[in-house]
Amino acid sequence: MGDLISVLTDNLDEWLAGFWVTLRIVAIAFAIAMVVGTLVAALRIAPNKVLQRLGGAYVETFRNVPLLVLLFISFAGLRRAGFEVGPWEAGIASLGLYTAAYVAEALRSGVFSVSKGQIEAALSLGYTYRHALRRVVFPQAFRTVISPLGSLIIAMIKNSAIIGVSLLALDDLLKTARVISSRGFQTDEAFFWAAVGYLTLTGLATVTIRFLEKRYAIHR
Amino acid sequence: MTYVFDPDNWEWLVTGNNVRFILEGFAVNLEIAVIAMVLSLICGLALALGRLSRWTPLSVAAGAWVDVFRNLPLIFLLLYLALSIPGAWPDAYEDAIPSWFPEGLQSGRVLAAILGLVLYNSAVLAEIMRAGILSLDRGQSEAARALGMSYAQSMRLVVLPQGLRRMVPATVSQLITLNKDTTLVSIVAIQEVMRHGRIVTSANFFGGVQAPVLQVFLFVGALFIIVNLLLSRLSRRLEIHEQRRTAVGRVQRVRGLEEQAV
Repeated sequence: MGDLISVLTDNLDEWLAGFWVTLRIVAIAFAIAMVVGTLVAALRIAPNKVLQRLGGAYVETFRNVPLLVLLFISFAGLRRAGFEVGPWEAGIASLGLYTAAYVAEALRSGVFSVSKGQIEAALSLGYTYRHALRRVVFPQAFRTVISPLGSLIIAMIKNSAIIGVSLLALDDLLKTARVISSRGFQTDEAFFWAAVGYLTLTGLATVTIRFLEKRYAIHR
Repeated sequence: MTYVFDPDNWEWLVTGNNVRFILEGFAVNLEIAVIAMVLSLICGLALALGRLSRWTPLSVAAGAWVDVFRNLPLIFLLLYLALSIPGAWPDAYEDAIPSWFPEGLQSGRVLAAILGLVLYNSAVLAEIMRAGILSLDRGQSEAARALGMSYAQSMRLVVLPQGLRRMVPATVSQLITLNKDTTLVSIVAIQEVMRHGRIVTSANFFGGVQAPVLQVFLFVGALFIIVNLLLSRLSRRLEIHEQRRTAVGRVQRVRGLEEQAV
């Protein structure tokens, strides 16, 4: 028991640094995923066959490729090809673009979940198409999108661990656990605290999402 | 762009045994995926039923188990198991494995990989299955009980067939994710497609041509896209076939579960 506490307190700086790196990776990658995902979702619902195909191809490609393969391509692959890519850029871009495919699907199904009658009613009331989307469709779609986007953030927290142990070697939470465990042969203790770190992050995300879902739920 | 499509950079595809070597690695991934899929589905169903059990200690224990393993990164579980499994287990595994099993699965390291994949995926699948069962109208199980069926009978004959059919799409997305996640076992030193890919890109492998990293892993990515698209196509075919066979019309899907599988 004393060991368990000392593994945390003796290396507190490293643990906090690792936690912070994981948090930053998730935050920046999620921002990228939201921007790219919105663009791809817009392509998929655009009134043009070619654009729809393009968005569909993006989703099918990035959803079916392992994240580790993306990391290899964006880091080792581009470096060998002569592009100077740093581990941070490669890791965040891979995680962001990978999750963007899922974000696009979530947003698209959110928009489609609003019934057609809603937009027709808004148009017949004299709203312009843009106004109808902004005032009627998006606020309703936003509600249905909260929980899938929340699941995606939780998935990102988990997937961010892949970046640290792959060839990119960013010092995130899992990497920190690995370093500390190999230093003192305290595998169980080090991995216990990493588990606590990850469960704290995913737990916080879960609680926040539940709160938001309640806040924006429709009371009938 | 010119670098990507430059024929010189694709020459490795036709020289030596490069492609065969990568495909051999990919086969190991698929073998691990199939074993992990079967075990995860079985364990996942057991966990889901445990969580729905009316005996509180069991449902609380199953719920806590599912919530912990669902929320930990898979790579974390794989690394921890690889570092901390008692040395006797892999030896026992190597003794127990029948010799007709594929060569890639004979090494004791595979044990940690399969264990990690099953721990994580059974927890996620349990949650999907639980949602599928809960989405069913209560009247179904009540009617079954009213007809004199026991709890076990009503589950087996009425609730599970309908509930599980609803979560086929969500389950298939999770199985696709599992298939992708088999690349992570390369980190616990199993010789699969990622490792083989790296070997091919190191200097002077077969044929004396050094394969460029970018192209090799684009190729590996394409392999995964093909297999995963086939998997989702197959599930859609299955769904349509089921609909025709059971003539119940469109099966209602459980919404909001596909996002679990990332």
